[in-house]
Amino acid sequence: MAKTTSIPIEWWNNLHENGPWKSRLFHHTALAAKADMPLALDRYNDAAAEIQRLIAAASDKNEGFRAIGSRWSLSDIAHHSDQMQSNQLMNIKISVALQDLHPDTTLVAENLFFVECGNVIKEIHNFLNDHGKSLKTSGASNGQTIAGCISTGVHGSALDVGSVQDGVVGLNLITGPRPEDRIYLERSGRPALSDGFALKLQSRVLRNDALFYAALVSLGAFGFIHGIVIEAEDRFLLKRYVKRINKEEALKLASSLDFANSSFKIAGETDANGRGLRPFHYKVFINPYVDDPDYVVELMYKKPYQPGYPDPIPGIKTALYKDLIHLFISIAVKWKNSIPKLIHILQSSILPPVDEELTGMLSEMFYDAGYQGPAFACSVGVDHVNSPKALGLLVKLAREEGPIPGIYAMRFVKQSEATLAFTKFPVTCMLEIDGINWDAKGQGMISLEQFCTRMIEVLQENGIPFSLHWGKNADWGFPGLVKHMFGDRVEEWKTERKKLLSPEMELLFANGFLEVADLI
Amino acid sequence: MEITGFSAYLRSLVLLFLLSIGLSSCYSVRLVSRDGIPEPDLTNDDQDFYRNKKVFVVDTTINLKATAGSYSLIRNCGPSGFYAVEYRVNLGHLLLSGVTLGRTRKVNVKYVRLKEDN
Repeated sequence: MAKTTSIPIEWWNNLHENGPWKSRLFHHTALAAKADMPLALDRYNDAAAEIQRLIAAASDKNEGFRAIGSRWSLSDIAHHSDQMQSNQLMNIKISVALQDLHPDTTLVAENLFFVECGNVIKEIHNFLNDHGKSLKTSGASNGQTIAGCISTGVHGSALDVGSVQDGVVGLNLITGPRPEDRIYLERSGRPALSDGFALKLQSRVLRNDALFYAALVSLGAFGFIHGIVIEAEDRFLLKRYVKRINKEEALKLASSLDFANSSFKIAGETDANGRGLRPFHYKVFINPYVDDPDYVVELMYKKPYQPGYPDPIPGIKTALYKDLIHLFISIAVKWKNSIPKLIHILQSSILPPVDEELTGMLSEMFYDAGYQGPAFACSVGVDHVNSPKALGLLVKLAREEGPIPGIYAMRFVKQSEATLAFTKFPVTCMLEIDGINWDAKGQGMISLEQFCTRMIEVLQENGIPFSLHWGKNADWGFPGLVKHMFGDRVEEWKTERKKLLSPEMELLFANGFLEVADLI
Repeated sequence: MEITGFSAYLRSLVLLFLLSIGLSSCYSVRLVSRDGIPEPDLTNDDQDFYRNKKVFVVDTTINLKATAGSYSLIRNCGPSGFYAVEYRVNLGHLLLSGVTLGRTRKVNVKYVRLKEDN
């Protein structure tokens, strides 16, 4: 039998220490031992019963319940003040067989895999690699759980691919304590698995496009995401280049994504007519405090898989001294004008080495995260056409009202079909500001909270449509923010949620984040 | 006389300082699995490599018989094996082993198991 260990707690914090927040009870659920329950599907269904037991117990006490993955989100989206459940040990992985396919599907069985919520991206990489397959994309690293990724919209910088949720073709949800609260949900227009497969999951089938797209980026509000059907593809290699290029050229590429007609070319990455090929991945790094004529850019080109390439993972990995980071922040807060200089000093540890060329699989290019200490990250999505203007405004903000201890980057992601995906533009440029937490109290320095508010105000004042990453720092309580970002889609999302959940379960699967963001 | 007493005091102080630095100074070696996934512990708030990971510590002293040449510490590391093993040594450990001709060995090992695959 699956087993849950429950620990009373007073406070809970995320990985990058953006809290702490008050909470009451923390559950860890582990699957039944293989020796006691050898079949993976039996262990899966047994775990579903355990989750329903926890939901019933929380409901009986009129308390909320929230599943968390790897606690990587920097916002409090994963937090609940009542009960939280860690599901990282719920990590079953099953290959889909030909007989499990829906009769009308256009999908191929060998590309479909059913994975349980607590699988982290790295173990899915390993599992798919054992089958000669790969995820289509991932985030910049590999430690998030699959359920956490899709619930918050984790993305990489794959221009023509999309975010992690865009590779999902089916969801197994637990929406309450009753047997009929186990649901297998997929698109009606593009079905993937048969009713027989759903029966094996002891779940009833719902095929509904609107509900599927609403539940895809669910923010944890559409019940407990227990299983996910992902569509993989044949494994491939990425060849990565890091270049220093003229700032105007880098921004022109950002707004046009026209690599064919750009004067920037990489030898070996051109077509027969000498025109630049379109990369799989394009990323621009920006130090907002330096008037350098060049930016560092990272490009990756997709290649067919072939073995024998040099291992791209370094044999020795170093980390900055914790004390050095604390010293950096102490100096930055005390003498805020030192921030640009400090960032310049740390730049070589933050940016990839220029002119370095590496080849590896997706799993190797977006490998283990290095720094796991206190950090902040703000991420604004804009139409890539508007990205140079938005970057200019946010750099100006940091220079004139900051400085803040962070560095900027631009990544580019294809539009998602999910109702509340922040990758909502045809190609969204995610403008990212990453840095180390600081305490501005009494120091005459802008606080992170103030900076987050000003970002929204500046973009609104300048008429630039934008979105914000659900899992990152933002002023989620800014009046009318979510409505401003998503318009009518907010009501569509709420309507689908109401159709799926009973009033009791709507309350149970809500949390402070959703309340503050005016999503419940 | 007074100056000699002071220099002796100073020498002792320097010696004590060096001894305390030497005995506490240490280094560690950490071996990490390239493709492994660590067993998680979301209540581990350590601000270092071990954050979010379930950590086991072996902190013990081994007393070997005169006839024993080596030893193995046997621990339950789950069905999958180790994700990371860190061995720490300091001058005190080395001195203890030297003084006892290798019969007494201080062991300080930290390890993380691999997450069980399902």
